[in-house]
Amino acid sequence: MTTETAGSGDDPRRLLSNVRALAARVREEQRATWFPLLVFAALTFAAIPVRRYSGHHLDCWAVPAGRNCRVYSDADFVYWPIALVLAYVAIAAFYIRRAQARGIGARIRPYAIAGILVAVVLTGVALWELHHPPLTQNPIGLSDLPYRLASAGAAIGLALLVLAWAERNRALLLLTFAYLAAVLVPITFGRAPFDPPWYSLPVVSQGSLLLLGGIGFALAQRPLRSPAS
Amino acid sequence: MTGHPANGLDDTVHQRVRLGILTIAHEARRVEFSYLRNNLELTAGNLSQHLGVLEGAGLITVEKGYAGKRARTWVALTKAGQAALAEEIAQLKLLISQIERTDTSAD
Repeated sequence: MTTETAGSGDDPRRLLSNVRALAARVREEQRATWFPLLVFAALTFAAIPVRRYSGHHLDCWAVPAGRNCRVYSDADFVYWPIALVLAYVAIAAFYIRRAQARGIGARIRPYAIAGILVAVVLTGVALWELHHPPLTQNPIGLSDLPYRLASAGAAIGLALLVLAWAERNRALLLLTFAYLAAVLVPITFGRAPFDPPWYSLPVVSQGSLLLLGGIGFALAQRPLRSPAS
Repeated sequence: MTGHPANGLDDTVHQRVRLGILTIAHEARRVEFSYLRNNLELTAGNLSQHLGVLEGAGLITVEKGYAGKRARTWVALTKAGQAALAEEIAQLKLLISQIERTDTSAD
């Protein structure tokens, strides 16, 4: 390529379309969506035995319609905060190392920072909620929504929204919406969340979604990953 | 300067290779010399020349360092570079819409 100016024979439409194509190619090469998804799938599945074999607490309190009960595990306040922070450190390290190997930086900082912040804030909210149980119960179960929102699953999902924005990745955005729906409206088949083995069903569905998404993105991004590695 | 969008084009930016460099640097936090050379299919000398022009205009910064034992040159977009790229794209869009309007009225 020589040093000619764009004006010499370059149609502005072609120039603009070249710029867009180049930007799209660079964005695709920067993406490593599969890695965080597989990390969080692994952490989600690992949380099942951790939750199962850690200490549990059952809190019940009176409400006008009868009694509300809630079960929580020590793992919720120990395993997840530590696991999430370590996961974001590992993901950031992975992206930085990959950027150095490929020669192109990636916008991972907003995702890692948002991930850690959301994890810390939602853990704080969950702790607060633990000591401030609701006095009423919504008949359609919407009263559980704040508790589901202050969970590790929601923390992962909200941070994935930031990753979808940073990577400008619509497929990830759709997957994240599906994942957040699975977190906020968990599949329980009407069974109590503390009734073994049903308590792990929502976690299995959330982990499976992350795992399938991770595998899907790994396959989709493989042709772009191979030449540089 | 007249109102024609072509007059709003900056000669430093309105150049295929330099526009490519700014576009890639805009997408990445920073980009390595060899990545630019491979993606824009340039010789090292040619790329250096374009980088020199952009750096001289304050649109990029060029940072030399090492990754292990390998020497690396990293390029990053400055705020002026971001503004120049945005302006170039806006002017190109304006130019295209003007051409399309002219084409339509000629039909």
